[in-house]
Order: sequence, then structure tokens, then C-alpha cells
Amino acid sequence: MALWTESAAGLVRRHERRIGPGAARLFGLAARVLPGLLFCVLLAAAWQAMATRSASPLVPNLQLIGDELLLILQSGEAYRQIGATLGRITLGLLLGFAVALAVGLASARNRFARSFFEPALLLGLTVPGLVWALLCVIWFGLSLKTSVVAIALGIAPALAVSIAQGISAVDPQLIEAAHVYRLSFWVRLRTLWLPAILPFLMSGMRLAFSLAWKVVVLVEVFGLSSGVGYALNTGFISQNVAAVLAWTLAFSVVVAAIEYGLFQTVERRLTRWKRKSLV
Amino acid sequence: MTATLRFRHVDKTFVRPNGEREMVLSDFSLDVGRGELVAIVGSSGIGKSTLLHLAAGLEQPDAGSVEFATGHSPRLGMVFQQPRLFDWLTAADNIAVAIHAAGGDVAKAQEMLTAVGLGKYAHSYPLSLSGGQRQRVALARAFAIEPDVVLLDEPFSALDELTARKLRLQLQELWLDHAPSGILVTHNTLEAAFLADRVVVLGGKPARVEKIVNVAEARPRNAENSFYFDLHRDILATLERHAG
Repeated sequence: MALWTESAAGLVRRHERRIGPGAARLFGLAARVLPGLLFCVLLAAAWQAMATRSASPLVPNLQLIGDELLLILQSGEAYRQIGATLGRITLGLLLGFAVALAVGLASARNRFARSFFEPALLLGLTVPGLVWALLCVIWFGLSLKTSVVAIALGIAPALAVSIAQGISAVDPQLIEAAHVYRLSFWVRLRTLWLPAILPFLMSGMRLAFSLAWKVVVLVEVFGLSSGVGYALNTGFISQNVAAVLAWTLAFSVVVAAIEYGLFQTVERRLTRWKRKSLV
Repeated sequence: MTATLRFRHVDKTFVRPNGEREMVLSDFSLDVGRGELVAIVGSSGIGKSTLLHLAAGLEQPDAGSVEFATGHSPRLGMVFQQPRLFDWLTAADNIAVAIHAAGGDVAKAQEMLTAVGLGKYAHSYPLSLSGGQRQRVALARAFAIEPDVVLLDEPFSALDELTARKLRLQLQELWLDHAPSGILVTHNTLEAAFLADRVVVLGGKPARVEKIVNVAEARPRNAENSFYFDLHRDILATLERHAG
């Protein structure tokens, strides 16, 4: 009897030899995508069953949601509103990231800064996004600044904590090497701290993105006349549940595209130096 | 000989986690001449690495001073027991970052890798290299900046003996090409005898110089020369005497 059985990677390699690299890649992609797709199909089937059973406009069937989705796509409304929301999220993320990087770096490297920022971070983590959305609408009115500042305030604390934790976890031996070779602050930031904290940064950015989306929708509901939040609010006022779900669905697809197309691609690219496990 | 690096009446005390104070260096003085490699040997915990940390600016002396007579801010190259490379940078980039910080020409990274026999691994990441290859990159990095002083902290102790032998010869070649001053901290007395111009045997607590052995042999040296084995036995005997 063999002591060790063939590993999964070995199995893929063997298939690759038999069916060629292109087909093997397709096989690998299908193995990755199909389980998620199965979940979506089951969810849709369950929703359809619920809609048929309840026969209420509050639980529209897939046909109605699909029609609504087609309408917002064909009219170009989906691209306009999702584009507006994504633009605000991007600016808010950039501002929040810049603030979080400065605060996280300072907190990790300086005891005074850590104690100084601690109450702000604690407060920032406990204040709900709704409060930032309301305050920014009151302070800045109907402007781009409202959403950008609200998002930055909403995401910066969580991101700063992630960054500070990441920097604290950087191998002190590498920090010593950087000191001996007199790497400047910016070179250390680029070649040591940022790459070393990348796993923390990526999980922080994912969390920040989901928080930003929640905050911007609130701002758009309360005080703006464009964006997905505005469109959702319009659907809510007209009691059009199918429209609310169509907008949610459209934006979810965009979020999934960003997750798979951007975050995972960037992460894969930036961590290609990592040694793959043999098992 | 003009001193490049000078420890002058250095005191250094560490406070242990249990609050106990331990003085490792007291009124310690040592000169490292221009182009000279001084090996420091002694038992574990005696303060050998502390001397390197003081020279590298990683720690500060409680009293006394560490002085460089280079006429400018000294360029330090350091090779640690572990390579301490940035895993996310290629071998060439690891070297280029240090060269850039020292104000040199980053194109020299490739040249240095070729000099240590790793020319074709310039674009490899450290984790895809063997332990010996990684340490070669660390050696190349230390010499790529045209250092005034090279600090070697047990650089070959984590390698198997065959690889270590090759790297000692590599170090000798680099020393001949670049002629910096330096300190080699090692537990391997044969290595000290083969590589150094002077071997300083430390003993006692706080550490004091028990013996200085001059190695009056020109480079390149032959590692098989029985002269180094005789020196090694002599140094070892001194160490054993002072270990009690």
C-alpha cells in the first residue's frame, strides 16, 4: 500500500499532461466558479418559489426583477448611477486610505502617536456610518465633499487599525536591515512596510470597500440626487421592490467584478513572490 | 595602521526581562584598521554581536563611543546570520535598494550577483533560492554599496559546511576586490583564522580581550593550509581556558 496518495496539485498536473494546458486551465476555472454559481442558482430558485407562493408585489418574481434590470440597463441609467456611486467611493477610499496610512504608521511606530490616536480610532470604530452620513449632509450639503468625507470618516479607523497591526507584525530583523542600509523613509515605505503589510492591507481594503458602499448609499439616500442610493430611494418611495432588488443586483455584480477582477488580481500579482505550499 | 572603526571605552548594560542588569561591555576599546578584517570569537552571550550592533547604530553605548574615521558618513554593509532579504523583491532589487540608498549606480546589482555566481538568478525571488544562494545575495548586497566597513554577524553559521566553505572563499574574493574594513563575529575559530587579519578572543563578564592573534598571511589564502588549523587549535585552547 502506498504511504502517500497523489496530491490535488499532482492530480491537476497529471490532467494537464493528458488534456493540455488550455483545457486544464478551463477545468481549473470551472472548478473555482461552479460552486459559487450553484449557490446563486439555488438562491434564485428559492426566491422564485417564495415569490410564487406569496404572490405579493412585495416579493416580486425573477421575471419582474429581470424586466426592471433590463430597463435600467437599456436606458443607461444603471451605468450613470453606478458610475456616480463608484466615483464617490473611489475618492472616499483614496482620502480614507491616505489618512489611515498616516495614522496607522504613526500609531505602529510611535508610542505617543499610538496613545494620541487611540481614542479617535475607538470612537471612529464605534460610530455607525449612518451618523457620518447624516453629519456630512448637514455640514457640506449637496456636494461631492459630503460623500467623500463621510466615506473617509467611515473607513479610516478600521483601515488604520489594520495598517497598524500589519506594521507591528513586520519582522524586526528586516527593520534592522533597513536601518543598517540607511533606507530613506519613502524607500522603507515602498519596499518594506507596504509589501510586508499587504495581507493586512488587502483585507482592510475589502472591509473598507464594503463599509464605503454602505456609507455612500446612506449619503445618497439623504442628500444627493444621483447614485445607487438615490435610485434605491426612488424605488423605495414608489414601493417598487423589483426596482430596489434590480439596483441591488446590478451593484452587487459590479462589486463582485471589483473583488474578482481588481482585488484578487492585484493580490495575486503582488504576492507572486510567495512560495507555494507543496501539499 | 590607521583605524577606520574605533570602540573607545565602551560600556553597555542590558536589563533582562526579570529586571536583572547585566553589564556585557565595560571600558571596552578596540581599533579596526583600514582594510583590516578583525574576527571576534568568544562564548555565547559574551557581547560579540553587541559590538556589531553598536557599530551598526542598532544600539547605543551607555558610555564611551564608537567612531568611524572615514572622513564622511560611513557606508556600512552588514551580513547577518539569516540573509534578511526582502522576500517580495527580486535578488537584484534587494541589492539595488541598498545601492540606491548609498547613492550608487543600481545597475551594479547585476554585476554583483554575477560576481557571487548568481547572475542568472537576478529576477528570482529569495524564497525560490536555496539558503546558500540567499546568503550570497546578502553578501553581494553588503559589498555592492562599496562599504567602508562590513559587519559580519555569524554569516555562515546557518549553512551546511560545504556551502559555508564556498561562501568563505566568496567572501575572500569580495574582500580582495573591495578592500573594506570589517568585523567578523563567529563561533567557528577555523573560519576566524582563515578569514581574519586579526582574531580577538573575548572572555569574562563584562567582556575583555583575552588574547589577540595576528594572522600574518596575505590573501588569497588557501583554506587547506595547515597554518590555519594550528591557529584554530591555539584560539580554541585560549577559549577553553577562559571558559573555565
